[in-house]
Amino acid sequence: MADYILFAVAALSAAALGVPFLQYLGKRGNFPGYLLMVALSVALASIILNAATGSTSSSPFGSLLTSDFLGNLFAILTLFVSLFVATASLTLIPSGKSSNSPFYYSLLSFAALGMLLISYSADLLMLFVAWELMSIPTYALAGFQKGREESNEAAVKYAVLGALSSAIILYAISLTYGLTGTTSIAGAAASLGSQLSNPVAGLAVLLFIVGFGFKMSIVPFHMWAPDAYEGAPTPIAALFAAGTKKAGFVAAIRVVLAISTVYSLTPQGGLFTIPNVLAVLALATMTLGNLAALTQKSVTRLLAYSSIAQAGYILIGFVIYSYGQGNPAFASQAEIGMTGALFHIINHSVMKGAAFLGAGLVILKLGSGSVEAFSGLGRRMPMTAFAMAVSFLALAGVPPLSGFWSKLLLFTSVLNTPYAWLAVAGVLNSALSMGYYGWVIKRMYLDEPEGEATRVGEPTSFVLLLGVLVALMIAFGLFPGPAISFARDAVPALAGH
Amino acid sequence: MSSILSLLILVPLLGSGVTFALSSLGGGRKNASYLAAAFACATLLVAGYAFWSVYSGTPALGQYALTEDHPWITLPGFGVDILLGLDGLSAPLVLVSGIAAVLSILSSRTLIDKNEPAYYSLLLLVLASVMGAFTSLNLVVFYLFWELTLIPMFFLIGVWGGDRRKYAALKFIIFTFAGSAVMLLGFLALYFGASPSTFDIPNLVGRIPAGLQYLPLLAVFVGLAVELPVFPFHSWQPDAYEQAPAPVNALLSGILPKFAGYAVIRIALGLFPQAAYQYAWAFIIVAVFSMFYGAVVALLQSDLKRMFAYTSISHMGFVLFGAFATVLSGNPLGIEGAILLMFTHALAVGALFTLSGFVQNQSGTRKIPLLGGMGQRAPLTAALLAVSSCAAMGIPPFASFLAELMVISGGVSAYASTAVTVLVPVITGGYFLWMLKRVIIDPSPPAADPGTAARDISRVDATVVALYLVPLVLLTVFSFLILSPAAPVAQWTANLILRGLHP
Repeated sequence: MADYILFAVAALSAAALGVPFLQYLGKRGNFPGYLLMVALSVALASIILNAATGSTSSSPFGSLLTSDFLGNLFAILTLFVSLFVATASLTLIPSGKSSNSPFYYSLLSFAALGMLLISYSADLLMLFVAWELMSIPTYALAGFQKGREESNEAAVKYAVLGALSSAIILYAISLTYGLTGTTSIAGAAASLGSQLSNPVAGLAVLLFIVGFGFKMSIVPFHMWAPDAYEGAPTPIAALFAAGTKKAGFVAAIRVVLAISTVYSLTPQGGLFTIPNVLAVLALATMTLGNLAALTQKSVTRLLAYSSIAQAGYILIGFVIYSYGQGNPAFASQAEIGMTGALFHIINHSVMKGAAFLGAGLVILKLGSGSVEAFSGLGRRMPMTAFAMAVSFLALAGVPPLSGFWSKLLLFTSVLNTPYAWLAVAGVLNSALSMGYYGWVIKRMYLDEPEGEATRVGEPTSFVLLLGVLVALMIAFGLFPGPAISFARDAVPALAGH
Repeated sequence: MSSILSLLILVPLLGSGVTFALSSLGGGRKNASYLAAAFACATLLVAGYAFWSVYSGTPALGQYALTEDHPWITLPGFGVDILLGLDGLSAPLVLVSGIAAVLSILSSRTLIDKNEPAYYSLLLLVLASVMGAFTSLNLVVFYLFWELTLIPMFFLIGVWGGDRRKYAALKFIIFTFAGSAVMLLGFLALYFGASPSTFDIPNLVGRIPAGLQYLPLLAVFVGLAVELPVFPFHSWQPDAYEQAPAPVNALLSGILPKFAGYAVIRIALGLFPQAAYQYAWAFIIVAVFSMFYGAVVALLQSDLKRMFAYTSISHMGFVLFGAFATVLSGNPLGIEGAILLMFTHALAVGALFTLSGFVQNQSGTRKIPLLGGMGQRAPLTAALLAVSSCAAMGIPPFASFLAELMVISGGVSAYASTAVTVLVPVITGGYFLWMLKRVIIDPSPPAADPGTAARDISRVDATVVALYLVPLVLLTVFSFLILSPAAPVAQWTANLILRGLHP
């Protein structure tokens, strides 16, 4: 049996290591980008084959990687995101003769490789190595526009906090190894789950939540996100929101949610349990994300806060899944909740990807990402405005677009459980989010353009890319069945089932 | 299995696409209105056929005619079906939506002169969603169609509306989206609460444990209260109704509130009979307060459209009142009256708002004090305004009279003290007559611009407005057309509540 994962890793490694040499061959411009797109397409195709054949082979990585549906889902998703980020970069990243475009695409390739390996990681050390492989290139990518002050600030802020989160994860791994004597994720999770009355084990779990929480940008570990999203080149902001953030989620699913427990993280028992901790984080994340988004004047910052809020919705599925791990009576809710979370992760990548890329084109063409630039955009850049409007409506959860169904699954799963209040909070937050999504849509379609009102050209290839993303949002909305069942297949089996 | 109800949704949906595509590609922009009118007429024909099927073969108690079941999401542990069906509650609403849409499009020909293809396309999209909402018997699909009216309505108000259209559109979308999101929460809570888990209304009836009825009823009521609207959830409504283009009001003010009236009977009473019974007194207080509040505030308005908007609040209070009167008394009269009232209100309000658009066109204002002398200046408009006002006031020979009478009688059989609500039609009559006196009989204000005063409504447009009123007169004689299919629904709902109390 062919080893598809190895093939994908090889394709991306070749691109990552080979592309920089183009700098010295004088092939700058867009050529490195095309090369990366080919590599990503090859990798994506082989992972799709891996999923289609149901291959469970992960040799020669042995027990470091596991080829399962969850891994396939996240690998396909992150490769797809990397592919559209690379495609958009062709338009959005200046690629003159003096540019460093080979390095840009090489870094992107490293990050894609890191995300791919995180998706399949079955060992804590593998996970950490892959985590750094993903993170370090993105620190450089955030500051890629060396001339822009915001870009540099974003990169520094992101790198410092990112390094901190890596250190926290590493600390959690070392605690876990000390307690359990293994670095295998499955073994460590089972062993941690049986000794949660040990305060050190509780600390290890908390540190994992904090470390992964940085990348997932959940409150209160979100401070870097708005600055980094605004300062980084917009395709890289799209990569943060749609790609690296999702790697944080899969890491949390693999490590934190695998711990089956109703036990408390403190020896005395009580309220300090994993689902309760996640529930409080979920509530804080969606509420603060939405409230902060309401006050933003820059569309990329607004999207960053909206991305934080969406992480809060996704956490609802994590809460109920973690709760179901310890309470077999809630198994069906846990499965629906996790299905909803995975589906929302997919949807969020598409919705936020479209929104960020649209914003990126506006910034490129109009030179400003403030909301004033969006006034009358419906007439100036009709295709971009349409794609952004659809993605805003999908993010708000308006049917029949993709975001509606995943939110529906998430909210349904927690009603009739002790976490019903999360669904209430989620619905009220969705309503609140219409305040800023509707406001930008009003700007784009109802307001008159400020200053000159000329039609601005939209590159055909870019419009096609946005069209693909819009088509996905509509298709997942009208025919959600296949996508939901794909997400459902990826839900890891609950302990004791 | 027939596919009439699918057609009812697909014809306007197709029309929306075709109108936009053909008239933007080429052809005169004016052609958009003919194309849209043709599709709306086709929809009305289908609606008429669907209504006739229900009327001629009234389904048995608790049953639906023309049912269709299209599985949409079928997964182990989660399913959503597009379940469509029609009964004596939804059939009149489907019919009146068809009529209102055709007349709305016809009156748009004079009143809309900007970007017609998009306008008519959005209008047909609203119509398709309206038909979907009234025919779907699955809670998620119902919510989906309900929501689907909001987005095109946002653009219809925001692009083609009055001076403060942007503010009104944003306020409209935020309020109604928030309200319906809370309502959705009530729906979702039922899924794992009922056994087997389902969103299908027919399979949920009688299967929701009494303990699980209270919070979902509250959540659903919040959604209804925003859409209906009732005090204190109404603040978006006068702005949205005032700023919307007049022909759109026929749908926005005439039909959309009926979603809520429909959901009160189908969902609030049908699914939560025990909770509805227990708190019926509270809903009746809300309803009666809303009736008086709308009427008194309407009295104070100086803008025609704002006055009509508050009238609407008052009238939708009647619908809520009638429905909950039946809950308490077991007398189906209240629900029958509410169904008839929803039908008559849609047409009366459609006529009034459409006229307000023509008044605005002629006089450049809708301010009642500035409109004096219309009787001489524009006699045809004045006459139509007087006649439409009679329809809204509930003066015979308009069927609104019958509907209000039924609701109040139903209410009195629940609480004798609610007889005080007869004052509402009295106040309504009072402020309409006062408005008519100021507009028609009083002389022109000295500042009025004589240049704009010369025009009267054209014969064609007058006919369109009159067409709103014709069914209302006919219904006084042929009220059995609505009431005979409505009776089994009302009886069935009343039985459901009695059965819930004495299982």
